[in-house]
Amino acid sequence: MITFDNVSITYAGASEPTVSNLDFTVPEGELCLVVGRTGAGKSTVLRAVNGLVPHFTGGTLTGRVLVDGRDTAQFPPRELADVVGMVGQDPLAGFVADNVEEELAYSMESIGLPNAVMRKRVEETLDLLGLAELRDRPLATLSGGQQQRVAIGAALTAHPRVLVLDEPTSALDPGAAEEVLAALQRLVHDLGMTVLIAEHRLERVVQYADRVLWLPGGGEPAIVGEPGPVLAGSPVAPPVVRLATVAGWDTVPVSIRDARRVSAVRGTHTALNAVRGTLTASNAARGTLTSLLDASGVEVKYGKTRAVRGVDLRIGDGERVALMGRNGSGKSSLLWAVQGSGPRSGGTVDVRGQDPKTMKPAQRRELVGLVPQTPGDLLYLETVAAECAQADRESGMPSGSCRKILDDLVPGIDPQEHPKDLSEGQRLGLVLAITLTAVPPVLLLDEPTRGLDYPGKARLAATLKDLDAAVVLSTHDVEFVAEFADRVIVMAEGEVVADGPAAEVITSSPVFAPQMAKVFAPLPVLTVDQVAGALSA
Amino acid sequence: MISVRPKTTVLLILCGLIGIAAFGWPLLVTPDSKIAHGGDAPWTFALLLPLVLAVVLAELSEGGMDSKAVAMLGVLSAIGAAVRPLGAGTAGIETVFFLMVLGGRVFGPGFGFVLGNTTLFASALLTGGVGPWLPYQMLGAAWVALGAGLLPDLKGRAELVMLALYGVVSSLMYGFLLNLSFWPYAVGTGTTVSFVPGDPVWDNLIRLAAFSLATSLGWDLGRAITTAVLVLLTGPVFLRALRRAARKAAFISP
Amino acid sequence: MTLHPGAWWLWGLLLAVAASRTTNPLLLGLVIAVAGLVAVACRTEAPWADAYGVFLKLGLLIIALRVVFHVLLGGITGETVLFTLPEIPLPSWAKGIRLGGPVSAEGLLFALYQGLQLATLLGCIGAVNALANPKRALRSMPAALYEVSVAVVVALTTAPQLVASAKAVRKARRLRGDGARGWRALRTLLVPVLEDALDRSLALAAAMDSRGYGRTASVPAGTRRLTSALVLAGLIGLCVGIYGLLDGQASPYVTFGLLLAGAGLAIAGLRLGAKRVPRTRYRPDPWRWQESVVAGSGAIAAAATVFVSASGGSGLVMSVVPIEVPTLPLIPALGVLVALAPIAVRTR
Repeated sequence: MITFDNVSITYAGASEPTVSNLDFTVPEGELCLVVGRTGAGKSTVLRAVNGLVPHFTGGTLTGRVLVDGRDTAQFPPRELADVVGMVGQDPLAGFVADNVEEELAYSMESIGLPNAVMRKRVEETLDLLGLAELRDRPLATLSGGQQQRVAIGAALTAHPRVLVLDEPTSALDPGAAEEVLAALQRLVHDLGMTVLIAEHRLERVVQYADRVLWLPGGGEPAIVGEPGPVLAGSPVAPPVVRLATVAGWDTVPVSIRDARRVSAVRGTHTALNAVRGTLTASNAARGTLTSLLDASGVEVKYGKTRAVRGVDLRIGDGERVALMGRNGSGKSSLLWAVQGSGPRSGGTVDVRGQDPKTMKPAQRRELVGLVPQTPGDLLYLETVAAECAQADRESGMPSGSCRKILDDLVPGIDPQEHPKDLSEGQRLGLVLAITLTAVPPVLLLDEPTRGLDYPGKARLAATLKDLDAAVVLSTHDVEFVAEFADRVIVMAEGEVVADGPAAEVITSSPVFAPQMAKVFAPLPVLTVDQVAGALSA
Repeated sequence: MISVRPKTTVLLILCGLIGIAAFGWPLLVTPDSKIAHGGDAPWTFALLLPLVLAVVLAELSEGGMDSKAVAMLGVLSAIGAAVRPLGAGTAGIETVFFLMVLGGRVFGPGFGFVLGNTTLFASALLTGGVGPWLPYQMLGAAWVALGAGLLPDLKGRAELVMLALYGVVSSLMYGFLLNLSFWPYAVGTGTTVSFVPGDPVWDNLIRLAAFSLATSLGWDLGRAITTAVLVLLTGPVFLRALRRAARKAAFISP
Repeated sequence: MTLHPGAWWLWGLLLAVAASRTTNPLLLGLVIAVAGLVAVACRTEAPWADAYGVFLKLGLLIIALRVVFHVLLGGITGETVLFTLPEIPLPSWAKGIRLGGPVSAEGLLFALYQGLQLATLLGCIGAVNALANPKRALRSMPAALYEVSVAVVVALTTAPQLVASAKAVRKARRLRGDGARGWRALRTLLVPVLEDALDRSLALAAAMDSRGYGRTASVPAGTRRLTSALVLAGLIGLCVGIYGLLDGQASPYVTFGLLLAGAGLAIAGLRLGAKRVPRTRYRPDPWRWQESVVAGSGAIAAAATVFVSASGGSGLVMSVVPIEVPTLPLIPALGVLVALAPIAVRTR
């Protein structure tokens, strides 16, 4: 269905091709996963499928890309709209209409289908993706998962043979991600669609994949094949795949079910059970700590909605806390309220005897640092160097302090680079460095793992663990929590519903349990490193 | 970004002539004319102008308005529509014009003409302000942005100064034209500052000046000043960002 | 049930035509009342639903403006002098402009009537603003304006997102200690918002391309030439017509004939030009009998007033010298009352 015939793509002004000598075929009715590190060219490959690269972005494509027998050199994206459905990274940014029904109809209108056909297909799509109750809703009022399903539906109504999705579940909480993936699986199984997905959260999607395309980047040739074997050789791999390497299995499982089966056959489970006593979680809770941040009865109201309802939060010195819960459960509002820059309509916050809310913003950041969900919002100057210098001035630190922190976090960023052109991980690093320049004893991070690949996340976890500050971060990323946190707080409807040591809270939840906990239940294992440590002991 | 072909130029000129008549009829009309005395002229023009604008806009889009141009228009108009209420109520703070001047400058006269129209139209739709004045505002704003696209090719500081000066001149012109169109509505006939059909243009202009002095001069000056200040302050950043976008969007075929 | 926005625009404009034929305060008051009743009875929960009130206030402002101008600057003189303001002498080049002086009841009444007429017209338009859904109106734009209407739709949906983005950036700025103030703060706010907006526009453009935006039908060269010719001839016709209108030498029939012909040609050109857009419309707003009733009721109101006005009926134009006591003319009043019909068909 999709054929890349010795394809290399070079963007205008770039000295090296972004991807080179791509040679692969995706047969009809398969789900193919594109993996690779940030910047390896995943989006480029996806966008080449419907000709956005190079027709829209500019640049040079050598070789040939064929989709359903059509060469993208001859067919610009608009002429492929009825063959390839494209779903971009941020669904909201790609919406043209303003309510669900009209958005679903947009492609069909452009293609010029008769009204009767459009009516029928819109109804079918509403049912297929479970969107029927939302049909009149303005798109901006939908939740992330709903928006993603509308975006998929909008691509589907033109009846394409191929569906291409760029990180469809990155921004979603585990529940919403399940909804989207279930919908996708249905398309592949029931309708025989060919689906191409790029995704960082491999643990979520890899069990649905028939095939994996690994882009190693740096001029290395791409590797295509069965998910297990290909991922086993790649630095971006979900925990189950890494488990196979650690435990020395020769078959590489990609789903929890397979892993349990292999583990039973190969006796790994039994071996672990034997050394059960040594399975001290690397990040178990550490006794009593001196309280650093003490918040009680925190309330946040937006108009009539109560986003945070009387939350008590006590953070000890050097604690590493993960805040979890659905989108809209009040995590961000709580972080902002605690930092003092966001609204707080009730309750008290006390950090080292002071309430950050009553302080000036400049002093506040020396007490509590916050890295917001879109770190780029903090940046407004033209170069990295200028941002660093500004941060030094803001914090009253000797010049060069910020740059030094940045070099520890993410070495080798060109100081003259525009912050806009940095990669996701580099930008996060820069904002983290700016925030840390003020040396706050408490650091809050709102969804820091978005857009980071596995090595990026491992690095962030290591950095945060080394910090001389209490860290509270909100995230949907279960595996990251397993790596990083020693305490987990779960929020729902603005209230705290669970608070305790990470191992207890996340292993007992079916939604938040990391892969290792699922594979080795009921053993208290969270991470691959724990397994490796126990097995080698 | 939106090409202006010879035929389009002809249409733009015709549209300009009709526009001049629509704005300036109180100065041009002879006492013999049927519309000179009744209140019909403003309404006749308020109905004709949308048709004329529609024709010119259709012609500009036929010349090829790709998705990038449309998305850029939409987003720039959205900024305009979103920041416009910021200034409303505060005398003369006009936060839209600098955007149209810079947008027209970077993307050219054709784009500017469309941008002026879409910005004011979207803003009126958002605030429920569709009235007889809307076609006049749209045409006036379109000329302002179109003019910015025709300015000579200067670089750096000189360019900025030129744009700021243009901002002052064009804002004042816009204010003058809008006053001219509002004049007959606002005071009607019969007062000593009303227009007198067939009087020498100069005499009517003096009455118009008196009318402006009494009503909107503060606003007009405020608009000119804010536009110039905003162009100078945000110009370097906006021009760079817009040009970056213009370059990013350039198409090079394999 | 929401009605086609076109029906509301026809209704409102025709009601405005009725109002434009009269300065009788009773009849004008009736028109304002009818427009207001319909606006209140038929409006929805939409954010633009209170536009009528805003327009009405604007109308009051215009009445006040006219009265103040009349009091201060004089104009129509009459026998009944109410009071006299001290007159300030102006230099001779100020061509007849008078500051202060006697204020006559006749002049005041004249200003009031004229202002009231304009306020009424605004009230009609305000009612339409409250009733017609602007987003649906965009869907009914001529197909030749497809690209422009997409740009406006994009603007309408992006504007609230940009406001949200600006708020987020401002909030984030506090995390950096809020060092910048005044103009510099504005710059630090504008830069990220603009960059975000530009990124958004590129992402949107890519999405539109992927979804078939910009497909064009092949139009034969002959049709294209015909379209151009129609459009050009139309605008030239309008130009000449307007010249005739302003000059006043030619017969009004010729002038209006030219204007109509020009408009007709231009509209034909627009329709023919739409052929290049192969696009269809999902669930186009239907034009049902209710729409016809709404538009028709406006037409009856306009027709009744125009007919009485053209046949020289009395009671429409108020004489101020001498001052005339207004009475409600029967036929126009009945006609205006017919424009209440939308209230009857709003629910079914």
